Amino acid sequence: MSVTHELPRDVFIDCVHQAAQRDKNIYFLSADLGAKALDRFRAERNGQFIHAGICEQNMIDVAAGLALEGKIVYVYAMAPFVTLRCYEQIKVALASMALPVTIIGVGVGYSYDDAGPTHYATEDLSCMRALGGIEIVTPCDTQSVTITAHVTYTQPALRYVRLDRVFLPSVYLPNDTRFLADGMAEIEHGDQVCLITTGYMVHRALEVSKVLQGAGYRIGVVDLYRIKPIDVSVLRRVVERYECIVTLEEHFLSGGLGSAVLEACADAGISRSILRLGIPDQYRFENGGRDYLHRLVGLDVPSLTARIAEFLSRTE
Amino acid sequence: MRHNNDLRRTIVEMVYRGRDGHIPSAFSILDIVQVLYERVLRVDPRSPNWPHRDYFILSKGHGCLALYVVLERLGFLSREDLDRFCRSGGILGEHPDCTQVPGVEASTGSLGHGFPFAVGIAYGLRLRQMPNRVIVLVGDGECHEGTIWEAAHVAANLRLGNLCVIVDWNGSAAQLLPQDDLPLKWNAFGWSTRVIDGHSQADIVAALQHVSFQGIGTPSVLLAKTIKGKGVPFLEGHGHWHHRIPDEREYQAIMEALA
Repeated sequence: MSVTHELPRDVFIDCVHQAAQRDKNIYFLSADLGAKALDRFRAERNGQFIHAGICEQNMIDVAAGLALEGKIVYVYAMAPFVTLRCYEQIKVALASMALPVTIIGVGVGYSYDDAGPTHYATEDLSCMRALGGIEIVTPCDTQSVTITAHVTYTQPALRYVRLDRVFLPSVYLPNDTRFLADGMAEIEHGDQVCLITTGYMVHRALEVSKVLQGAGYRIGVVDLYRIKPIDVSVLRRVVERYECIVTLEEHFLSGGLGSAVLEACADAGISRSILRLGIPDQYRFENGGRDYLHRLVGLDVPSLTARIAEFLSRTE
Repeated sequence: MRHNNDLRRTIVEMVYRGRDGHIPSAFSILDIVQVLYERVLRVDPRSPNWPHRDYFILSKGHGCLALYVVLERLGFLSREDLDRFCRSGGILGEHPDCTQVPGVEASTGSLGHGFPFAVGIAYGLRLRQMPNRVIVLVGDGECHEGTIWEAAHVAANLRLGNLCVIVDWNGSAAQLLPQDDLPLKWNAFGWSTRVIDGHSQADIVAALQHVSFQGIGTPSVLLAKTIKGKGVPFLEGHGHWHHRIPDEREYQAIMEALA
């Protein structure tokens, strides 16, 4: 895998910035946050860039007003602040009026590792998933970030785009958009265990699959790029070859990706043993970085491979 | 205040080793935090939860390095605690955590929460007829948040005279969203308002002597004029240093400036 050195947020914002140069109808609102791409956007498109101040809730409602005026609007802040802090604003102003606003949350999961629970987004998915009429996507590399940005201004809708804070290696080749139409892509193929995940954990899943494949397991990996809505017919087609399903997320288990997959399986009549792997139901204040936190909560490669192997021994 | 540069150097060492933290924000509030703990607050490091203690809430949690080094000087924390800042096994992270760190009254880091916490604490103390004083430090950028003004409204209506807010008025966030009329706003919300030099020990102490800290009365706010990054000229006021970790050359330059 090649490694891109562009941060997901800079890639996304630069794409929107370029679109804003062509389309004066695009407006970008940001709460206080430093990013090189934000500086470029602000300097070059000052009229279309609004610094909303450190007041995220108000930013959402102002974005709603701009959208009611027919603008294509983006709101941008750290993931926990632009979602949970603004929950009623998103419900009342954006979701209930079905306004085409893109909510960009940077730093999902434990991205802001030593910043503590205030800065973790480990329940954003379950909360945002509960809102009516919102699309939720988690790009896992530069290509999927770029395609996501393109879709947000060519097909404006209410979306929550979950971005990681750190550099992510490539998963998709340039021009590979298969995750877009289906909302998911099988990026490793097997027929025994279907490991379904999203975002940063796609890369962890690829590590896990490598270890398990080496041990003789036939494991596939699915990038569930779009967590809401899930196309159940696609899910059925993807998982029908597999004996069982494992979901993996850097998120609490209540209402997250694993829950979404369970619901979709139930709706589609897919009957498989399912193991959900995610963050145990507890906030963690420990320091030492993301990998250290993953070891503490069992999301490191050895813990994951052991739990999946144990699950398989029970389901055989 | 004679050890002030020592504390600044300690902060820089912690950030340099821990590879995380907000140096300029800590330098902006260090003089305030130090004088509060050394000359104003009644606290007991041997008994952090002493029922008669005064409460200090750092609402702008990202400035916590200033709090950590002062808590270490007083004996709440050890030097080893500081050395393990943002490291595995350490209790000190990029934002303060009341579940693990002695002397930290409330976990903060998301702006606009610590001040409302303090309103609840102050009201709770008054209901119990306790004389403890409550001081909360908020950022001027934090005053963008709506909850700051909601809390200000509630505290004035509850007549929380035992509560004092100090605003770290370094003007940094005003570069993006100006709010130069802060005294006018706090006055309009019914607060006793005073503008002070947030780097002057005498000014801070003198201003706090004017605060009655009576259970029922007008709440007080001190708008402390500060300099973000105070003490190192090339850090002062520069936005890109907000969350920047110095490289080796920058580390040496900062330490020399603080020598």
